[in-house]
Amino acid sequence: MSQTERPAWRVAADPDTVERDLTRLVLTLVELVRQLVERQSVRRMEQGDLTDEQIEALGVALMRLEEGMDDLCDHFGLRPQDLNLDLGPLGTLLPSND
Amino acid sequence: MSDATYLYAVARDALPECPAGVADLPVRTIGREGLVAYVSTVPLEQFGEQALRRSLEDMDWLAETARAHHRVVDAVAAATPTAPVRLVTVYDDDGHVRDLLDRRGDDFLRVLARVSGRREWGVKAYADPAAGVGPGPGASGDGNGESCPGPSASGGGGAGRPGTAYLQRRRASLRGREQVRRQVLQRADHIHRALSELAAASYRHRAQDPRLSGRHDWMLLNGAYLVDEGRDAEFAEQAAALGGDGVEIRVTGPWAPYSFTVMEMG
Repeated sequence: MSQTERPAWRVAADPDTVERDLTRLVLTLVELVRQLVERQSVRRMEQGDLTDEQIEALGVALMRLEEGMDDLCDHFGLRPQDLNLDLGPLGTLLPSND
Repeated sequence: MSDATYLYAVARDALPECPAGVADLPVRTIGREGLVAYVSTVPLEQFGEQALRRSLEDMDWLAETARAHHRVVDAVAAATPTAPVRLVTVYDDDGHVRDLLDRRGDDFLRVLARVSGRREWGVKAYADPAAGVGPGPGASGDGNGESCPGPSASGGGGAGRPGTAYLQRRRASLRGREQVRRQVLQRADHIHRALSELAAASYRHRAQDPRLSGRHDWMLLNGAYLVDEGRDAEFAEQAAALGGDGVEIRVTGPWAPYSFTVMEMG
């Protein structure tokens, strides 16, 4: 079992790593939802069916969530690319920059 | 009933000699009405349905078998127009292969006529995911010049509205990614069209997962082209000329015409 390129969706049931792997899985799901909400917000902003106040409130909330994710990643020693998901023909969830 | 017949390829001519086949077994031919099937007698305990279900999961076995299969196909294809058969095509006995040649004889002859005097070339195009991809040398205008900012893109976003500014930054970066994606797809279409014009037939395979090839680059095109033997040089030149501007082109071949001879075997 190589430790180098383990896909994000595989959890090794090794007591030493299981906590980190489960954390990664949970954070990946949270990040997925966050990205979906962000894209939806951008789309609705473009369509013009949000008031300026709503846009501002959504933006602030999403920004805080992003900061929160960064802190959690730091805390668990995860890099942003550890939370990437391969969505098949749609590409990856986050832009891959490795 | 402990043997079966493994089929490699169908051609019009029999070769005087042929390399060893799968599991190092000798290769022989079954002739029928102007067609020749290249086969090996294989033991059922290795090539029966049960055994294959297990063996096909065994990467070493699969690699070894694929190498032997292609060795035979390549040897035959180098000498005569050939319709290769898919890896691990096994019939109960020679009678079933003869039956196949009888039933599908016309199809085989048509396929063989199509690949005569032609060879298959593979062309893969890669883009570095970090770098941008241009429209390519010789391409006309890229068409999607719509960069008009949407509603309130430039107006708000001042220091007093950090949330709005954040969403607008995200919007710009999402747009950028989408635009790169579209440009890459256009570029791939352009390359494929240009090469198809030089080929007698072409086929676009699914792009490979970067993890399989061990490359980090993004494969935008995985094409197969059936090219007249006399146009090999012209094709290679054209393929090379289509690269550049952020795209790397890899040409492989010549191959036996695997991509142009697939027939569903009954």
